[in-house]
Amino acid sequence: MPAQLVEGNTAVIVGAMYAGCDCFFGYPITPASEILHEASRHFPKVGRKFVQAESEEAAINMAYGAAAAGHRVLAASSGPGMSLKQEGISYIAGAELPCVIVDIARAGPGLGNIGPEQSDYNQAVKGGGHGCYRNIVLAPNSVQEMCDFTIKAFDLAFKYRNPAVILADGVLGHMVEPLNFPQTAVEPVIDPTWAVCGNRETRGNLVTSIDLDFKELEAHNLNLQAKYDRIRENEVDYEEYRIDDAEIVLVSYGISSRIAKSAVDAARREGIRAGLFRPVTLFPFPAEELKALAERGSGFISVEMSDGQMREDIRLATGCRDVGLVSRYGGNLIGRDEIMEKMREVA
Amino acid sequence: MEDSLFAPGHRACAGCGMPTAIKLVLDAAGPNTIVASPTGCLEVTSTPFPESSWRVPWIHSLFENAAAVASGVEVALKRFKRTDTNVLVIGGDGSTFDIGFGAISGMFDRGHRITYVCYDNEAYMNTGVQRSASTPFCAKTTTTPTGKMSLGNPRPKKDMAAIAVAHGVPYVATASIAYPVDLRRKVKMSLSADGPAYIQVNAPCITGWSFGEGDAIEQSRLAVETCLLPLIEYVDGVLVGVKKVRRKRPVEDYLKTQGRYKHLFKAEGGAEVLAKIQAMADANAAKFGLLD
Repeated sequence: MPAQLVEGNTAVIVGAMYAGCDCFFGYPITPASEILHEASRHFPKVGRKFVQAESEEAAINMAYGAAAAGHRVLAASSGPGMSLKQEGISYIAGAELPCVIVDIARAGPGLGNIGPEQSDYNQAVKGGGHGCYRNIVLAPNSVQEMCDFTIKAFDLAFKYRNPAVILADGVLGHMVEPLNFPQTAVEPVIDPTWAVCGNRETRGNLVTSIDLDFKELEAHNLNLQAKYDRIRENEVDYEEYRIDDAEIVLVSYGISSRIAKSAVDAARREGIRAGLFRPVTLFPFPAEELKALAERGSGFISVEMSDGQMREDIRLATGCRDVGLVSRYGGNLIGRDEIMEKMREVA
Repeated sequence: MEDSLFAPGHRACAGCGMPTAIKLVLDAAGPNTIVASPTGCLEVTSTPFPESSWRVPWIHSLFENAAAVASGVEVALKRFKRTDTNVLVIGGDGSTFDIGFGAISGMFDRGHRITYVCYDNEAYMNTGVQRSASTPFCAKTTTTPTGKMSLGNPRPKKDMAAIAVAHGVPYVATASIAYPVDLRRKVKMSLSADGPAYIQVNAPCITGWSFGEGDAIEQSRLAVETCLLPLIEYVDGVLVGVKKVRRKRPVEDYLKTQGRYKHLFKAEGGAEVLAKIQAMADANAAKFGLLD
């Protein structure tokens, strides 16, 4: 099949269909609603379940229920809805269930507006709800990746029995680009070794996040932490561009990384030795790789549409206090010139 | 219009029924009123900062919270012993029937002196016409698409007025922008109630329902005249008022004028659905005595 022009939010549903996702639970919110629309059109046609919930909390808890039964579950929302979902995500993480959640982030805080922002970094990457848990977080920067990373998120969610978040934004959700459809499709299969399906085979399985015994809950937490360490060890993903001799490394993810990439080329034309480091996984964060660049002597500028939420992770990874920040808020994309200005300042 | 507490110049779609509803409600309530609104068409179109259509104090909160916010406002007013100030919630059906439902139940249960007004356009219009629990049977929305496998929304509209009555709410009414005198009177009645009140105002949406520009009021009138929208009034759980329908019209007269029902006149199975909707209207007429 030749590539088709597809919107980012639609690409999520394309990826979900090919990934064998068989349950979608959603609630209307701009700029993520098209995911809901597409699911309502395509899921029932092939016998998969689409449910529009009465609230964000209901949607994520339906996802919790279906995930406990072993299904391949997708939920999608935007910033305010993600905030409402945090309790449910904490339960899903605590009960160690696989679930993919798409965040088409918008500008905050509060109602904010429906323009793009990357200010959901903390609530996605740091485990936005209560307790010590982590989501696997993938950050696409194209319509193709909106599809491909949705598939990858299902793989990782099931590999680690853990929530996986696609962290995108309003531009990626509404952007239209050519999409090469996946070559292979996964059929939904339920794993009886842990799922609770209401049958004899799965009667012994237990899905829960409650543990009243202090020592046992501590042991459960230590197991979770060991799992997160395994994820850190095995799943780090990133992209480098013109990094080999770069003195200034722009660190940027998602839609901002596309702009940062063009800034690197422009800087090179001015004789500034710039490069781009783009984390593809935000958890696990590519800390070792950034540390190696710091040890080589590179300086860093975080290019993100937030108050430097990712910059904190760059500081922790590199040990550099002096990490620059190019940022816009309020639904505004970062301009290439703003990045150029900052690079000229530090070059 | 210039004197209205809900000022013109807002950004609602041309031909929207909602601003008419808001003007009627607010002007009936008067200037000594505080309004809390959840997210929705009203909030988005009337308050793009620094502009505002509100000539009374107005507070916004996220989608699910307005009844709780208003509860806090009412408690604070009591603390200041300012019990002559009206507290209104004005929210759409998505926040009322769905996501804000729990907070409304709490507000009713605690007995706050608040009038909750739902402007009912029967779907999530602000976010792109998704189904809500207020969407009528077999209407097309973006999340209840029509085609070979679907004739639109599979569920009937949730009966919020009955739910409010079941809470023991002292004053409950349904209203329509096509009957402004009736609506204004109901707002005044609600504000004299000793406790919470619920008023549901039918406010047709030109974008989501897809009808001709300038037809919003006529649409609402047709809803009443077909008996799909009974205008009723409960005081202390007793049905005390019913707007009589002089000449009952067939539901087709209402449905055929709207894009959201277009499929029912073409698709296989459409005739059966039309018969079911007619039966719903007939049941309303019988239940509330709309005709005699």
